[in-house]
Order: sequence, then structure tokens, then C-alpha cells
Amino acid sequence: MVLKEIDSKKFRDMVRVATHRIGRNAEFVNSLNVFPVPDGDTGTNMNLTIESGAKAVAENPSTKVGDLTESLSKGMLMGARGNSGVISSQLFRGFYKATQGMNTLNAQELANAFTNGVATAYKAVMKPVEGTILTVARVAAQEGANKANETDDVEAVMKAIVEGAKKSLKTTPDLLPVLKQVGVVDSGGQGLLFIYEGFLEGILGENFADQYQPDAGEMDEMINAMHHQSVQSQLATQDIKNGYCTEIMVDLTADVPNKQPFNLEEFRKHLSSLGDSLLAVSDDEVAKVHIHTEHPGSVFQYGKQFGQLGKIKIDNMRIQHETIVNSNDEKQDSVDFAVIAVASGNGIRKLFESEGVNRIISGGQTMNPSTQDIIDAIKKSGAKKAIVLPNNGNIVMAAKQAAEVSDIPVGIVPTKTISQGLTAMLSFDADSSVDDNVKNMTEDLETVVSGEVTQANRDTVINEVEVHKNDYLGIVDGDIRVDDPDLIAATVKMVGKMLDEDSEIITIMFGRDANKDQAEQVQAQLEKKYDGLEFEIHDGGQPVYHFLVSVE
Amino acid sequence: MAVKIKTKDGLIDISNGVIATVVGSAATSNYGVVGMASKNAIRDGFDGILNRANYKRGVVVKSEDNEITVDVYIIIGYGLKISEVSRNVQNSVKFNLKNQLGINTKAVNVIVQNVKVLDE
Repeated sequence: MVLKEIDSKKFRDMVRVATHRIGRNAEFVNSLNVFPVPDGDTGTNMNLTIESGAKAVAENPSTKVGDLTESLSKGMLMGARGNSGVISSQLFRGFYKATQGMNTLNAQELANAFTNGVATAYKAVMKPVEGTILTVARVAAQEGANKANETDDVEAVMKAIVEGAKKSLKTTPDLLPVLKQVGVVDSGGQGLLFIYEGFLEGILGENFADQYQPDAGEMDEMINAMHHQSVQSQLATQDIKNGYCTEIMVDLTADVPNKQPFNLEEFRKHLSSLGDSLLAVSDDEVAKVHIHTEHPGSVFQYGKQFGQLGKIKIDNMRIQHETIVNSNDEKQDSVDFAVIAVASGNGIRKLFESEGVNRIISGGQTMNPSTQDIIDAIKKSGAKKAIVLPNNGNIVMAAKQAAEVSDIPVGIVPTKTISQGLTAMLSFDADSSVDDNVKNMTEDLETVVSGEVTQANRDTVINEVEVHKNDYLGIVDGDIRVDDPDLIAATVKMVGKMLDEDSEIITIMFGRDANKDQAEQVQAQLEKKYDGLEFEIHDGGQPVYHFLVSVE
Repeated sequence: MAVKIKTKDGLIDISNGVIATVVGSAATSNYGVVGMASKNAIRDGFDGILNRANYKRGVVVKSEDNEITVDVYIIIGYGLKISEVSRNVQNSVKFNLKNQLGINTKAVNVIVQNVKVLDE
């Protein structure tokens, strides 16, 4: 049966499903956000914007579509957040103007509404940048208008709009160079596509199952971020509801007794009844699960029905949490002059502590601590003056803000890497003033070159280095300089670029994903190539970076 | 007045005109900003939209140490959430000053000088 018009009930469905769909995928949209400011909040902003619109629609009892589009438009205007949110609110303002007072929408009227939305949205911009949400909206509306000339089937028009948006989204990297360089599509455009797909699902009365699936690498990053978050939320140990962080891999190809057919949606649904913080991904061969639960045994039992269990891991988060809380509290015995460093990884914490750092704030590349976290750490130290080592370029600003509002004198040594932080500590003198310390510690930063080795999570070209997904990257003082599929080779090449005639000491810290053996291989190869270097190897235990190297 | 940045090789002096151009371009690239306005509305006319060469009449820069405070005078399209468009301006001005000139911004004050009604 051909659907000829959208009534108020249908329209409510459309808005509800669209809100749900962008909400579920907000994190993914955030991860694409590089333009105009790479702050990673597009998905969150668009979600909040349309949620505000959906709330207004839900509160309006009218049976006229025209009244509901008005509520949607007003709600989105009031709740608009961020650039993409403001643009969406304008798209739907134009949508409302075209449908004002209408009882229902036919195919032509629906297409017109989208076209008018685009016209309104383009008016409020001085120089439209192509390759953004505006382009996606425009092409989508155009396809909808074309379709409406051929048919009076509402479904077909909405499908054409979704297809148009999809097609246009794919071209965004060709229109906007910054997207191409990073290898992503426009985040706002992707967000809009999710909204339009939600509309179509609402019309069809069904749910697409094609939710975005992260791959194993992205999943690791998400797990990291989630753990950082639970550590930082500072909840009391007894408040942890699901105490065991459980991870399993299921080899779906293996034969097991009473083997059940595997369906990811059902799999996920069942697991979500066993705990929270669930992440589950799968391909044809392997399913990978991360979950916080009280019943790790049940997770194993359930997973075993679908194949052989590969890697399994359980951590007792209550014990972990107590350790973290206690280690923070131990340092409570007040010092006169505190040094506070941002770091992650047990080994690196110990290195900093051995150099006299009093308090460590968890964080680094994947989870930047907030200004508040830094202020809290300063307060808890109980000191009369303090020095903060941010150890990451992204945290320097937050640290400076913390220093401004602190009640005690706080100095920031703008260390951008762990290596710089460790070097700076060598010049710390608890008997000098804050200013003198900042001056002395900062002076030494130039003597150290910092290198970081990590794995690429997508193909891209940066600084003329061609980067391949899963290759190892050598990053020297923040710039990607080396790409190599072999970890040892990448590290050796990177160190080669860090050396000059004054280089004497090379410190290698191996992380969670590397080991001492590999670090020693790096040392052996470097000793063969270069004379007169001294090596130090430490177990850093840091996430993300396989090796952190400093050359002095 | 200009912003001076000390480096180990010497002094970098960035004139306010340069900063005004970066600030103005960043501000006007934001969705919802239909133009830059003059800070002297009475002298230069209330609803005048500045062209690129005149951006500095709509940007006030105050500098201290290696940080600056910027006032931006803008015109916003009617029917947009003014607070949010202004917040976007603050973010992009801050980002572009840091990214292009390496200047840390202490504050970006947005003054919405006018609202332009765009024909519906």
C-alpha cells in the first residue's frame, strides 16, 4: 500500500525515532568532528538540540502536523547547541514555515518543507562552506523534490531524501580538504543523515539494524575512555554496582556442543540484562565483549553457547578503585610544596613518584582531566604552594585556568609530553619559590626531545607522511614523522630522527601493549647504528603508546 | 598596540590589524553571523555591515603578556539563538587565534550590535 500522507501520529513517530537514532550514535558523530573547531561535540550538540525539539512536540497535544512542526522548530531553537545545532534549528524553522497550519503532509508538501528548510538555513550564513551539513541538507532536499515530481508516495520521497543525504555525505571529504586530510566525512552531515534515517524509520514503522559498529581498535579506545571515566567519577567504592570488569572473545567459527546461531542484536540484548557499560562487537569470526557485571560466570556461560571462548579477563573494580582512592589519600599528609602531574600507566606514576611528585591525576591522550579535576588535586594536596605538570599539550590550558582560580600560588610548567615532565622534575627545588621553579623547570624542557610510538587508527596523510591503518607511528615532539608496519622498525627510525650530535641519554618507556624484550631489541638495533649512546629502559605501563622515548 | 610574542630567537610583533582580520574571518565563518559591525555604531551608522578590509573597526584587541582579550562586534540573523551563535563565535575565534597565530586568548567578548531580518 502506498502511503499518501503523513498525519500527526506518523510525524510524532518520525521525530521520536530520529531523536533516538541520533542519541544512540552521538558518540560516533563526536568522533568525526574536526571542522570548524575540532572539539568533538557535534553529536552531543545535535542530540541535545533535537531532544529539546522532540520534548516540545511530545508536550503539544495537537492533531495537526503544522502545529507539531511549529513546536519542533521552537523547541530546537530554544535548545540549539553548537554550530550544527543552530543550523539544524534553522533547517526545521524553514520546514515549519512551509507546513504552517497544515493538517497532514503529502509527498509534494513534505519535499517542499525540506527545500524551504534549506533555503532558510542558507540565508543565515555569509559564506557557506561546502562539504558541511548545509551541503548534505541541500542535496537531500533536491533529491526529495525530484522524487516528489514523479510520485505521490511519501515513503518514496523520504527514501530519496535519505539516499541523497548519504550520497552527499560521501562527497564531503572531496569538498572540504580538512576532512580529507583526517580521513573522515563531515560530522554534522553524518548527524543529519541519522536524523533523516530516523524519519524514514518512523514512517516505515520499523527499525534499521545498521547501527554503527566500531572495530576492535576503536573498541579498545572506548574501553579505555570508559575506565578513565569511572576512575574520575570519584564515586565511593561501595557505590560500584557491577564490580567485575569482564572481557571475553568468542571464536564463532569453533564447534561447540549445542551451538546456537549468533545474532549480535540478541546477544547484546541478553548481555545488557547482566550488567552495564556494555560494549559488544563482532564480525563473522569473532565476537568481543566488554561488560561490568556482578556475574562474570553468567557472561562466560552465555558466550560459550556461540563458540569457543578465546581471551578472557576479569578485573575486580572494587579492589582497583580502593587502591586508587587509597593511593590518593596516602599522600594526604600535607606537604609544604606539592608537585602534581598528569599521567597514566602504573610504571609512569612510579617514575614520577620516585622523582618527588606528590600527587598524580589520571589522564593523558584519551581522557583529558578537566580544570575541576586539577583544582581538586591541588586542594587535596593540602600544600601551601604547588607546581602542576600537565604532560600533554591539550591539558596546559585547563591547568592554567586551575592555577588562576586556586587559593594558593600555583605554577604551571607547560610540559607537553611525559618525557618533558620527567626532565622538568630534575630541576625541581622544594626550597625555591614557585616562580623560580617554573623558570628553572621550563628552561630544561628544550634539552629533551620527546618521541611517542602508537598505532594508527585510520588511513591518512599528515605532514607528508603516508599513514596506514594499524601501522605504527613515530611522533616526534607532537608531529607524526614515521610510519612503519613493524613496531621495532618504526621506533628505531623515529629515534634516528630525534638524535643530533649532542644526544647522550635515551630513555625508553614501554607501555601496556609492548614489552621489555621489544624495548631491548630497539636498544640493540640503535647501538649497532650509533656510537656513544646510553640507554635506560623502564616499564611505563601506559595505555595508547607502545613506547615513550626521550633523548637528552 | 600590538601583540608581542617572545621566542628564543627574538621578538615577534603581530599588529592589531592582523589579529582583527583573523578574528573577523573566524567570527563571520560561523553559522548565523551575517556580518561584522562597527564598534562605533553611532559614528559609523547602526546597521552598517563591515567589509573585510574594515574588520578592524569591529574588533578591539587588548593585550597583556602573551595573552589577549578580544571584543567582537557582530550582526546576527533573526530567528537564531543568539547566545549559542555567540558561543560558537567565541570558540572559533579562540581556536583560530591559537591555531594561526599561536596566541592564547584570555577572553572573547561578543557584542551583538544588531539583528538582521532575513526575508522569509
